Amino acid sequence: MAEHRTKPSELDQGKCDADDNVKIICLGDSAVGKSKLMERFLMDGFQPQQLSTYALTLYKHTATVDGKTILVDFWDTAGQERFQSMHASYYHKAHACIMVFDVQRKVTYKNLSAWYTELREFRPEIPCLVVANKIDADINVTQKSFNFAKKFSLPLYFVSAADGTNVVKLFNDAIRLAVSYKQNSQDFMDEILQELENFNLEQEEEDVPDQEQSGSIETPSEEVASPHS
Amino acid sequence: MSFLKSLCNLHIFIRFPLTSLDMYVGMMCTAKKCGIRFQPPAIILIYESEIKGKIRQRIMPVRNFSKFSDCTRAAEQLKNNPRHKSYLEQVSLRQLEKLFSFLRGYLSGQSLAETMEQIRQETTIDPEEDLNKLDDKELAKRKSIMDELFEKNQKKKDDPNFVYDIEVEFPQDDQLQSCGWDTESADEF
Ligand SMILES: Nc1nc2c(ncn2[C@@H]2O[C@H](COP(=O)(O)OP(=O)(O)OP(=O)(O)O)[C@@H](O)[C@H]2O)c(=O)[nH]1
Ligand SMILES: [Mg+2]
Repeated sequence: MAEHRTKPSELDQGKCDADDNVKIICLGDSAVGKSKLMERFLMDGFQPQQLSTYALTLYKHTATVDGKTILVDFWDTAGQERFQSMHASYYHKAHACIMVFDVQRKVTYKNLSAWYTELREFRPEIPCLVVANKIDADINVTQKSFNFAKKFSLPLYFVSAADGTNVVKLFNDAIRLAVSYKQNSQDFMDEILQELENFNLEQEEEDVPDQEQSGSIETPSEEVASPHS
Repeated sequence: MSFLKSLCNLHIFIRFPLTSLDMYVGMMCTAKKCGIRFQPPAIILIYESEIKGKIRQRIMPVRNFSKFSDCTRAAEQLKNNPRHKSYLEQVSLRQLEKLFSFLRGYLSGQSLAETMEQIRQETTIDPEEDLNKLDDKELAKRKSIMDELFEKNQKKKDDPNFVYDIEVEFPQDDQLQSCGWDTESADEF
């Protein structure tokens, strides 16, 4: 089935050199500043891959965490409602989520609960970082409490893609959390596999869908994300 | 109409001998003010030429513009017009667009107050509006309004005191005042 994959060489190359790779999704309403945040973090060092007219932009980034090289796939998604059908593929096998709202627009804050509910349907356990963006527009918001983050015990970041406040910290924390989530859930998976082996069951199915689905963005309907991968 | 036309021609004719000099000076001119004249329609730029430190006025006639015209396109066309380009370097597209909006309002018989209100609506973000539901074009319009503040507050990479990693702590302790967006009820945040 390998011949069906569109760009195997590039992906595999990275995988071989890196100790690990993680997928981080960036979610939130339209125009909250997700793309600006990505661009501020990556500066020039990115080659975005834009897919299906604005629905999704993929950025590949290499990071070092505890001396290990980590290949990060950032999925910068679009908030527009017409891309709703793609959401399943956004969540699929993600290891962390950056969830953004605009401190100037209450609707984007209120909508966090819808984004969060959806996230948890697909990925019940992955780390989620809540981001209050555009603090340059009104610095006073940093002196206020936002209960959404508190309610779900999520870390809250006050950032500005414009002046750069806390952007790098946010992304570095997200990468760390993604890596540690992946390692822990991997351990958990390994344990389960171990047990299955003890019962003399075949574990063949485990790898196959993993490889296949990594490129299948256009057909999210087929994909039913498993809670851990 | 032919009178107006000849007036325009006359105008250009008078200024023509200066134009080649202006072109050269234009690269180093400082825009002071930019306005619109309704009758006959023209964009007027007051600028200072650095060589002589002299204040000059440049009148750029607006042609083929009606109350149905697209102000963004008109602004772009003027800004890219080879004859005016170098003079308008410091005048933003947004400002030109706004001037054309005044003209459009005038041509559709609106009062100045009505036009100002319309421009205000077109240049500010309605914080209640759900932008997720807009089409690409409308969304792009809203984003370009947002860009104004973004660009003003942006710290660019080529800035001499640019810092890549800026960390500021904003502790969320219990003394903080609520953002006012949380509902009181227990179920909602
Ligand atoms: N003042 C200010 N404006 C910002 C900031 N970040 C983004 N913006 C503005 O918000 C607009 C929208 O930002 P985008 O990054 O395109 O938003 P997005 O979340 O990617 O939107 P979609 O891709 O449509 O979902 C930009 O055009 C900027 O003008 C910020 O930190 N401060
Ligand atoms: Mg975007």
